[in-house]
Amino acid sequence: MARNEALFEAICKGKRNDVTALVQGEIDAGTDIIALMNSSMIPAMRDMGERFSRNEVYVPEMLIAARAMQAGLNLIEPILADKGHKAKAKVCIGTVKGDLHDIGKNLVAIMLKGAGFDVIDCGVDCDTAKFEQAVQDGAQAVLCSALLTTTMPYMKEVVAKLKDSSAKIIIGGAPVTRQYAEEIGADGYGADAFEGVTEVERLLGLTAA
Amino acid sequence: MKPKEILEAALRGEATPRPAWVPFVGVHGGKLIGCGASEYLQSAEKLIAGQSKAIELYRPDGIPVVFDLQLEAEVLGCTLHWAEAVPPSVTSHPLLTQDLAALPRLDETKGRYPLVTRALDELVAAHGDEVAFYGLVCGPFTLALHLLGHDIFLEMFDNPERIQDILAFAAETACAAAKIFSDHGAKVIAVVDPMTSQISPEHFTEFVTPAVNRVFDYIRNDLKRFSSIFVCGDANRNLDLLVGTHADNVSVDEQIPIPRLRELAEAQGKSFGGNIRLTSVLLLGDERDAKLEALGLLEQGGARGFILAPGCDLPYDTPPANLQAVAEMVHDEYAREVARTTLKAREADEFADITVPDYDAAQAVVLDVITLDSSSCAPCQYMMEAVEKAAAAAAPLHVWVNEHKIKVREGIGMMTKLGVKNLPTICIDGDVKFASLTPDHKTLVQAIRDRAREKGLL
Repeated sequence: MARNEALFEAICKGKRNDVTALVQGEIDAGTDIIALMNSSMIPAMRDMGERFSRNEVYVPEMLIAARAMQAGLNLIEPILADKGHKAKAKVCIGTVKGDLHDIGKNLVAIMLKGAGFDVIDCGVDCDTAKFEQAVQDGAQAVLCSALLTTTMPYMKEVVAKLKDSSAKIIIGGAPVTRQYAEEIGADGYGADAFEGVTEVERLLGLTAA
Repeated sequence: MKPKEILEAALRGEATPRPAWVPFVGVHGGKLIGCGASEYLQSAEKLIAGQSKAIELYRPDGIPVVFDLQLEAEVLGCTLHWAEAVPPSVTSHPLLTQDLAALPRLDETKGRYPLVTRALDELVAAHGDEVAFYGLVCGPFTLALHLLGHDIFLEMFDNPERIQDILAFAAETACAAAKIFSDHGAKVIAVVDPMTSQISPEHFTEFVTPAVNRVFDYIRNDLKRFSSIFVCGDANRNLDLLVGTHADNVSVDEQIPIPRLRELAEAQGKSFGGNIRLTSVLLLGDERDAKLEALGLLEQGGARGFILAPGCDLPYDTPPANLQAVAEMVHDEYAREVARTTLKAREADEFADITVPDYDAAQAVVLDVITLDSSSCAPCQYMMEAVEKAAAAAAPLHVWVNEHKIKVREGIGMMTKLGVKNLPTICIDGDVKFASLTPDHKTLVQAIRDRAREKGLL
């Protein structure tokens, strides 16, 4: 399906009213909604993620684009549920114990939802029990975030606690590095919100849309 | 000249007989006297003892009385979460449930201001003849974020008038905080606004510039104090706008190249400062690293209007010896000369025994990455990661990656032979291709492929 340029642009620019009108128009016209998501909506968030990685857009622009995306998804989700359509996978995300900084975590959560994942948001200051519960609730990947060098070591405890589970553990946040991820035995690492999503897709064996 | 006079001359943009030096000692002062951040930031006695210890060890020209950007937020009704090695974090945002008009006004009887002013009074009495004290106030945008939470980012689009009102209130609060510090003897008021690194130049101009200029005009005209704008984090995108504010001085974190800041600041006759790397040099490096860093920055900053300082609030566990090494570079011309000579001696080594490979003959593209040490220097590590990722993406093409750490002689030898001037740097088949800045993935992979095509591997 060809990209709906107006919808793509409306999401990138964060125009949620336009997104609502355009998606409703497509629904009314009987368009294949899944094809619409894959051709126009998910690529819009992916484009924003790439631009964020390149420092071309900033946190506010990302957040407003995500809200516009969500406005479209609000119309689409009931239809998908009726059709029995399932999310790509279920994942959970939270900042680790002692860390209350959640801008980064929220951006990754938004990007994951935008990429078609069912996201359990564990919130901030999460101990291992919270992540374990999410895995019991079906999370196939656990994403841990930390902004502080002082809270980062808790990620090691999360990895140790979940090492026997089938869930993949991906870590990220300003002071976190790929080397640190390898050192503590995490399965993956995301340098930013966009990379976090592609890392989850890679580890769960999902092809990027 | 007394130390504080040297600082004042630098703040006026004048030449100084030796470099001006302001270590941003915050919770690190607690480390110096063996107490955690939470106790330190809630006790006048501890602040007096810790900052006095820092003055004794680090011989500064200026030093903050306290480094905690949550002082104002706490008075205005934000809840704080305390930690042992970092300043507290804000956990609740009053403007989510209350109107702006309902918020209290800041004055020195509220929150922790009584203990902070008592500490400042005593520190000024003990050291004020020699050392200038900085009053650090939370910048309007960061304070607005404390008050409203992340909603501020969406409201900038949805309800810009409301955000202007909140920023005007935050600016008035910053003026009130500046007056408290000034009344108790602070000579310099630094407006610290780290969250401005997260917004675009357009949003900075629309929301931040009017608010901070209101504060800087007040500091200059009403308080008759020096002012500084200080952004921890990557302020590259908004750097010219920061320099364009009415502050006397612009202080930056490690992501900003000092030559670029110097050029912008000098064009406007302003003082500027920064930006010793906090983690890779001060926290994880040794005295030699600290000396080399200080020397390099002093050369880049020049003798007029430059203030040597860490990029941001010093990490709690910074080894004191590293900061003492910086102080030695500041105060002792002979020590500076010795350090410089040691470097020159290194440069005089011709590294005759170190040879570069025959790149043209290699059936692969060779990437030489010159780093400080990717295990302890974040930019070096990011560059190494980018190189490895690009090498993998170029498969099935053969790409050989070699890291040369300048902490060992072989690394310095390769750096010299390849003509590398900046760290970290990527050379492709012996040519310097990317200096200091890590290219994006596509650009790097393309550069590898271009070279492979040139030598007939593709």
